[in-house]
Amino acid sequence: MPSPPPIRFPSRAFFEALGDAMRAERERFSRLGFFDTTFGVRISPDDGGEPAEFALRFEVFDCVRVMEGLAGVEADFVVEGPFGAWREMFDTIHALGAADTAQSLNTLTHFGERLRVRYDDPDGHDKLYRFAESIQEFLDLSARIDYVYPDGSRPPARRDDLRRSAP
Amino acid sequence: MAYYAEKNFFEDEQLIELVTSILSGNLTLEWYQAQGARVRARPADPRRGLTYEDCNLGPYGYDAIPELIRNRYSMAARGSVLVTKLPDLGYTVNRRSDVWSDNVVTLYEEAKSRRWAPAVDVPWTELAARADPVREAAMAQVCTFLEEVALVAMEMPSKWVFSINQEFLELKSFLCAQMIDEARHVEACRKRALASGQGLGRASASAEQALKELLSAETYPEASLGMNLLLGGFVVAMYRAIAALAGMRADRLLGTLAMQDVARSVAYGVGHMRYHLAHQPAKAVALGEYLDRTEHVVLGIAGSPEFLEPLVLLAAGSLDRERLAAGSRFARRWFRAALEEYFERAAAAGLGDRRERSRLPRLDS
Amino acid sequence: MSYLSTIDFTEDQAFVDRFQRTMRGDLELSWMDVPRERVACRPENARRGLTFRDLDVGAYGFTEMPELIRENRSFAPRGAAMPEGLPDLQAEVSRKSEVWAYNIEGYYEEAMTRQWNATTDIPWAELQSVDLPEDIGKAYAQLLTFLTEVEMIATDVPAKWMGRLNADFFEVKNFIATQAMDEARHAEIFRKRALSTGWGLMRASAQNEFNLKFLRDADSFAEASLALHLQAEGMVLTLFRFSEYISPTEGDKKLFRLVMQDEARHVGYGMQHLKWVLDHFPERREAIHHHLDEAENFVFGGGYATEVLEPFIILSGKGLKKENIAEGVRITNAFQLKQTDEYFERLAKCGLPERRERSRLWKMVEMRKQTMPA
Repeated sequence: MPSPPPIRFPSRAFFEALGDAMRAERERFSRLGFFDTTFGVRISPDDGGEPAEFALRFEVFDCVRVMEGLAGVEADFVVEGPFGAWREMFDTIHALGAADTAQSLNTLTHFGERLRVRYDDPDGHDKLYRFAESIQEFLDLSARIDYVYPDGSRPPARRDDLRRSAP
Repeated sequence: MAYYAEKNFFEDEQLIELVTSILSGNLTLEWYQAQGARVRARPADPRRGLTYEDCNLGPYGYDAIPELIRNRYSMAARGSVLVTKLPDLGYTVNRRSDVWSDNVVTLYEEAKSRRWAPAVDVPWTELAARADPVREAAMAQVCTFLEEVALVAMEMPSKWVFSINQEFLELKSFLCAQMIDEARHVEACRKRALASGQGLGRASASAEQALKELLSAETYPEASLGMNLLLGGFVVAMYRAIAALAGMRADRLLGTLAMQDVARSVAYGVGHMRYHLAHQPAKAVALGEYLDRTEHVVLGIAGSPEFLEPLVLLAAGSLDRERLAAGSRFARRWFRAALEEYFERAAAAGLGDRRERSRLPRLDS
Repeated sequence: MSYLSTIDFTEDQAFVDRFQRTMRGDLELSWMDVPRERVACRPENARRGLTFRDLDVGAYGFTEMPELIRENRSFAPRGAAMPEGLPDLQAEVSRKSEVWAYNIEGYYEEAMTRQWNATTDIPWAELQSVDLPEDIGKAYAQLLTFLTEVEMIATDVPAKWMGRLNADFFEVKNFIATQAMDEARHAEIFRKRALSTGWGLMRASAQNEFNLKFLRDADSFAEASLALHLQAEGMVLTLFRFSEYISPTEGDKKLFRLVMQDEARHVGYGMQHLKWVLDHFPERREAIHHHLDEAENFVFGGGYATEVLEPFIILSGKGLKKENIAEGVRITNAFQLKQTDEYFERLAKCGLPERRERSRLWKMVEMRKQTMPA
């Protein structure tokens, strides 16, 4: 039987795979606490063109829905940026097992240089802060996903000899 | 001690007779006939458990709390069957819109759920090896400063909770959550400073003067506006910067987890102002004036050398002149971004656009 | 008007100038050069993490903290360099013996790691499936009504004192913060359980409300702690243990075990605080007895709270029939005597063994024991 095609990034399947991985880590995400937000992810191709957009809805301890497109979605905030920035972040996560401090979502969005945060209501924006660690650990789950980029390349293999901090 | 019982119960024959009678099997069962509302609260979402929102039923619910609390000055549980002769416990904050926020119940549940313990949730052993003394000195100083801030932020809710009517149970519970959040930050920041190899840094006279001004606000709405909305937003930005500039995971976690806690206080601050002004719109003038004269504290705190210089140093990474220039650019952007977020929150809370009115933007020149 | 800081920072040109110089990278860095003890605290026990006990080093620590805090009247963290210009916090308590307790740092760390959640840590679904018969259901709902009514006195009273304590006693302030949260959780769990029984809340307890008023009214932190932590919470701890014993379901037993853990910490603090006071501040002994005289008067007056005593009888006897009540009276009587015994035992262990002899409560209890069937 032919093996299923690998998951692509960016795609709905990619974020759904993160949601599945989150369910498998229920204990960990329960410890982090209630996680109630809907936020958007917008990935703009480096060569221009239409961005890929996804809405991720989190309730209690789970990612309960992944939607493609942001039209009509009441998102608390949207994190947007060029494909290159997203790739660099996910490559780091894949290589190290989780984002290092230079590639954490908080760092990348800090002044909006690599990734920007858009929002209509500061209340919604503040949910990025209220659930920051859960959001980061959700993204860190991509280290376990086997996926390919549009050009067919894969993120780097895990570097077991390097750690994100000193032991 | 100034309050004594109405009698010496040891000489109260009536009491002794009553207890003797009950313990002989003659129950009065006066309470048994109490006609309270019969409800059965159930979890709407079993994954979430039984929340206060699930208990928002009939006379028990927070929706039933009136705007003005009259004749309920004891700790009798909201919705319970009252009896005559309940004492006045001396509450002085008895107006719902002085304290309430539509998000307070959610935030309380979130605070409990998202708790963490610095002793075990920060990987302290990871601090051992890479001890760059300049960086560690900056970290020790910024943590000394944040410990000061947290000590005051812990006292704000504690100062008021004693005076707030017990009918506002969920709000008082959130104030307790704020207290433990800030205790956690006192702890985490002190531990980080004393793990640095540098010891504690210097206390900040300007920050403490400013913090005392905030702490001594005359009314609860002013206190919440000052601490939660005005200062809180800047403290979120401070922890955010620590996480973003972290050289190691321990610092990233400390910054991120603390930021989460403070962000809840900010969310309450915005929600509280919104509710307060929706019900007492005339207060917008006085609160605007409060901000006019109080916003300067932001400069005393976020602009204090005991915070700002180590921030520049952490961003710079060294004392090299060019690196310091880069670090100061980071600090300028940081201040500008935090200020902008404050103005956004103030507007969202119903305080209007303060950009023209505030003296703070003048500093950015 | 409230306190105003000594300068308006945005109008003080020197302050603004310094701010702007810093923003251009021109740093003074005087804070780097202040003399200080340079320490690198590490966890003694890696599994326990970095604790306050690990920070008990030199001038930063609590062991070397002097009895009278003469130098720090500000918010300066203990051991930090204190520049000119720090404000006066107007602390009302700057004497260590007023607030300290042996092992206060241990109680705090334990509290932080043992926080639980009333929303999720109780098997609500399981409890939903149980329908308590009317007599048990109403008795239980009444007990829960009493408990939810009184719990947050132990938030309000310590919180009132938190801001009055010198900042050097932050371990005590932090412990108070954990207690405030513990009590909010207790008020919550008992309220939620009452509302989940199908009976709702029952009657408020006037007699106990008078006791709460007494607890709010203490002249000193030591007296407040004595009455609250040791006397009131000590008796409530025994009550929680008894409630666990008579709980109608397994889920309720778990509920009482969880609240018991928290309460035991508070009582522990109260005991260790009293020990410390008597060890270091022996002239307080008479004032303590005087305060307990009135506290015990309120305890005895609690007999009027039929809405507390009678539900215990019904729950422990498991019903309202004559034979149930007889059994319930026997068990409840034993509980009340145990509750009082344990209270005096705690006082004796803390250094107040003479309390029994001085106490009218003890005499009344002894008389009751003599009238009980063998």
